[in-house]
Amino acid sequence: MTERDFRAMNLSEVQVSVELVTPDVTLNLGPQHPSTHGVLRLIAKVDGEVINEIDPVIGYMHRGYEKLAEVRTYPQITALVNRIDWVSGFANEVPFMVATERLVGVEAPERAQYIRLILAEMARISSHLMFLSSYPLELGAATPLMYALRERERVLDLIEGVTGGRFHPNFNRVGGVKPAAGAGSDQKKVVQDLPEGFLAETREAMRTVLAVCDDMDELVVGNEIFLERTKGIGIIPAERALEYGVSGPNLRASGVRFDIRKTDDYLPYSKFEFEVPIGAVGDCFDRYMVRLEEIRQAARIVIQAVDTLPSGPLQAKVPRVIKVPRGEIYVRAENPKGEMGYHIVSEGGRGPYRLKIRSASFSNISILPWLLKGQLVPDIIAILGSLDFVLGDVDR
Amino acid sequence: MTASPSEIAERYAAMVGADSFSADHGTAKIRVAASRWIEVHEALRTDLPFFSWLSAIDWAAEVAVGDPPEEAGEERYEVLSRLSDVGGGAGLIVSTDISKSDPRVASLTGVFGGADWHEREAAEMFGILFEGHPHLVKLYLPDGFEGYPLRKTFPLLSREVKPWPGTVDVEDMPATENVEAGDEAGGAEPEDGE
Amino acid sequence: MSAILDNFWWLLAIKVLVVALFIPGFSLVLIFAELKLSAHMQSRIGPYFAGGRWGWAQPLADGLKFMQKEDLVPADADRPVFKVAPMIVLMGTLAVFVIVPFSPKLIVSDLDLGVFYALAAGSIGTVGVLMAGWSSANKYSLMGGLRAAAQLIAYELPLVLAVVGVVIAAGTMSMGGIVAAQAEPWFHIGTFGVRLPYLLQGQVVGFAIFMIASLAELSRIPFDMPIAESELVMGYLTEYSGIRFTMFFLGEYAGMFSMAAIAATLFLGGYYLPGLPIASNAMYVLGPLVLIGKVLVLVFLMIWMRWTFPRLREDQLQSLAWRWLIPLALVNIMATATFKVVF
Repeated sequence: MTERDFRAMNLSEVQVSVELVTPDVTLNLGPQHPSTHGVLRLIAKVDGEVINEIDPVIGYMHRGYEKLAEVRTYPQITALVNRIDWVSGFANEVPFMVATERLVGVEAPERAQYIRLILAEMARISSHLMFLSSYPLELGAATPLMYALRERERVLDLIEGVTGGRFHPNFNRVGGVKPAAGAGSDQKKVVQDLPEGFLAETREAMRTVLAVCDDMDELVVGNEIFLERTKGIGIIPAERALEYGVSGPNLRASGVRFDIRKTDDYLPYSKFEFEVPIGAVGDCFDRYMVRLEEIRQAARIVIQAVDTLPSGPLQAKVPRVIKVPRGEIYVRAENPKGEMGYHIVSEGGRGPYRLKIRSASFSNISILPWLLKGQLVPDIIAILGSLDFVLGDVDR
Repeated sequence: MTASPSEIAERYAAMVGADSFSADHGTAKIRVAASRWIEVHEALRTDLPFFSWLSAIDWAAEVAVGDPPEEAGEERYEVLSRLSDVGGGAGLIVSTDISKSDPRVASLTGVFGGADWHEREAAEMFGILFEGHPHLVKLYLPDGFEGYPLRKTFPLLSREVKPWPGTVDVEDMPATENVEAGDEAGGAEPEDGE
Repeated sequence: MSAILDNFWWLLAIKVLVVALFIPGFSLVLIFAELKLSAHMQSRIGPYFAGGRWGWAQPLADGLKFMQKEDLVPADADRPVFKVAPMIVLMGTLAVFVIVPFSPKLIVSDLDLGVFYALAAGSIGTVGVLMAGWSSANKYSLMGGLRAAAQLIAYELPLVLAVVGVVIAAGTMSMGGIVAAQAEPWFHIGTFGVRLPYLLQGQVVGFAIFMIASLAELSRIPFDMPIAESELVMGYLTEYSGIRFTMFFLGEYAGMFSMAAIAATLFLGGYYLPGLPIASNAMYVLGPLVLIGKVLVLVFLMIWMRWTFPRLREDQLQSLAWRWLIPLALVNIMATATFKVVF
C-alpha cells in the first residue's frame, strides 16, 4: 500500500469486527439417552447450553399397527392396541372395543362397563404414578420414585389379579370383558368373575394411593428446588396447545377444561362425581399438579364405582364369529396421556378396512420443535418429562 | 351433550357449504371438495379449535393385504381431518377425495400447526403431496424407504413369507381362503354368569 | 504410647498408613453408608447378600467387579490426559488429608497455612474433572467438565469466605491451632470454662455456607450438574469404565470424607471432645474416633440431602453462589471481625 492509497482511505470508516463467532454444536440426545423415555431422538443445535433449533426424530419404535390391523380380526387387534401406550395398556383397549361394539350394534352389560371403568381408572392411576415417580428423578430427586412405584405396584397387582396381565391385560372382548381369568380351554364354560377380595383390596389400595399423593405433595411440591426448576418453564399457551392437538393433562394444565370423560359416553362416567383439575399457566409445574390431582380424582371414581358395582352378566350375547357391518366410526377416550381414539372403517371384511389410531403422545410431542426453541439443556429434560409421553404411543 | 352428531354434521355442512354430510354411528362427517380444503378448515377453526388428527384412506377394489371392500367404490384417496370443540363434546370429521393419479392437497400447517407431523405421516404412508408443507420429509420410516406402506397395493411381507400361524382360531384371518368355520352360528359364548 | 508418637519414623509410617490405606478404606464405609441409608430413606432394604450380615461387603464386591472390567479408552480420546485425569482427582482429595489433625500428634504436617492448603488442594480435583471432560471426545463429557469448572469458580469463593470467619476467631490458619483454639474456654461461668466448637460460637452462617459450598465442590445433589445423569448421561464420567471409574468413584467419597473432616475440624472442634484435656494420652486414642464420629454426622447430612433434593439448574446454581452465599459470607466475616474487636 502506498502512502497515497493510505491517505485515500477514509479511516473513520474502517471497522474491525471483534465479535467472537461460536459455531453451534450439534448435540444428539438419544435415541439412547436416559431421559428420552425410550427411543426418542432429539437433534439439537446448541450454543453453550441454549437450544437454537431442535428436530425430534421419531419412528424407532414404529410397528405399523395401522397396517397390521388390516390383516387381523377385531378381537385379535385388542392384543395390538394395548401395546400402544404400554404404561396404561388397559385404557387403550376400551375405545377400540367400544367402537367395535357400536359398529356391531351390541352394548356391553353394565357390570362389564363398570369393570372396564374401574380398570381404566386404575390404568390412569398407574400411569400417573409412573409420571410422579419418574419426573422428580429426571430433575435429580431419586427418592419419590420409590414411594410412587410402591403404590403403583399395588395397583398393578390388582389389575393383574383381574386380567392376568400387569401391562398387557388383553381383557376386553367385543360385548364385554373376558369372563374367565385363568381358566384353560377345557374350562371354557367356567366363568370367573372378579377375584375374591378384589373390592376390599381396591378400597385399601385407593387409600394408600391417596396417602402417597399427600406424601408427594410434601416431598416434591413442597421442595423449593423443584418449584424453581418447574415454575414458568415450558409454558404452552392454551391456543397453541389446541392447535397442536395437545390433549389430556397437558392441555388441562394450560387452563382448558377439556375432559372427554365429561363429554363423551364411552363409559358410564356420568354416574360418578369427579372434578376436572386444570392448571393456571401451562408450565411444567401445572402439568405435574394436574396429574397429581387427577390421581386423587381417579381414586375417587374407583371408590364410587366399587361401591356401586352392579351385578349381572359380563358379556353381552354376541355371535361366535363377529361380523362387523360396513360403516365408519370414530370413538375417542380420555386416556391417561390424553385423547386416544380409533377411527375404524369397516367394509364388511373380517378385519377393519382401515384403522386410524389417534394416539395422545404423538400430538403431545409434535409441539416440541416449537416448545424447546431457546430453552436450556437442563430445561429440555424438565419439559420432556413434564409432557409424559410414551414412545410406543408416539410411534404406534 | 348439547347437540346430536347429526345436528352437528348438518350445522357445519351448512356453514361451510359441504357437498354432503353423514352421522353414522355417532360420527359426524362432512365431505368437501379438495380445492376448498384450507378454506373450510379456516371457517371451522373458530368453533372447533382442537385439531385431533389428520389421516387418509386408500379406497381400492384390489387389495394386497386384508379383505377387499364389499362394494368397490371409486378408486381414490380420502383425506380426513378430525376437529373438535373444547368441553362441548362436538366433533367433526372433514373429508375430501383426491385422485390416485395425482394425489395432492393443500397443507393445513398454516391453519393448524399440529397438522405438521400428521401430514408428514400421511405423506410417507400414502404418498400424498401436501402442497405448502414446510418440511415434508419422512417421519417414521427410514430415509431410503421405498413404497407407501398404508396403500392397499403395498404387501405385508411378513405375511407373504409366513402365513398366520393361528390355525386354531375359530374364525378365518383376513385374506385367507374363506373356509367355512364349523359352528359359525354357534350361539352366544360364553354363558352369562357370575 | 507417647514414646512411639515421638519417634519420627514411627509417626511417619502411621501417617502414611492413615492416608494411603485408611482413607480409601473408609471411603468404602461411606459408600456402604450411602447404599444403606438411601435404601432406608426410599423404603428399600438395600444391599443384603454380599458378606452375610447387612450386605456389608457390597462396596468391596462393587470395587472388585469394577477392577475386572475392561479399561476402555474412546478412539478419539486424548489418551494420556484421559488416563491421568482420575488419578489427579483421587490425588487431589487425598492430598487434603495431609493437614487434617486426627489427634494432637496424628497429623501428617500441621502447616501454618493449613486452611489455605486444604482449600487449594481440594480444588485440584476439578482440574482432573475438566481434563476428563475435555479428553473424552464426547459432547456430554465436555459439557459436564465445563459445568464442573464453572461450578468450581462460583463455589470456591463462598467456601473460602466461610472459613475466614473461623480463621479470624481462632487467629491462626493452622488446623491444629484451630482445634486448640476451640479447646480454649470461650467464656467462664464462675470458674467453669465453657468450651464450645465454633459452630456454637456463632459461626452458624459460616458453617451453613461451608456445607452448601462443599456439596457444590463435591458435585453432589443438589449440585450434581457436572454428572446430571438425566441430562448429560453421566457428564465427565460417561466414557470411563473399570478401574478408572473406580478411582473417580473412590475420589468422590474420599472427597466427602475430606470435606466433612475439614468442616468438623473448623466448625465442630475436630478431634477435641469437651471435658477431656487436649494434651492427655486419652486424646491420642479417642481423638481419631471423635473426629470420625463428627465426620459421620456430617456425611449423614450430605447423604440425606442427596436423597431428598432434586438438582438445580446451572444458572440457578450460579445465582445462588453469587447473589446469596458470597454476600452472606461477607456479612459473616464483618460480624465475626466486629465481635472479635469489640470483645
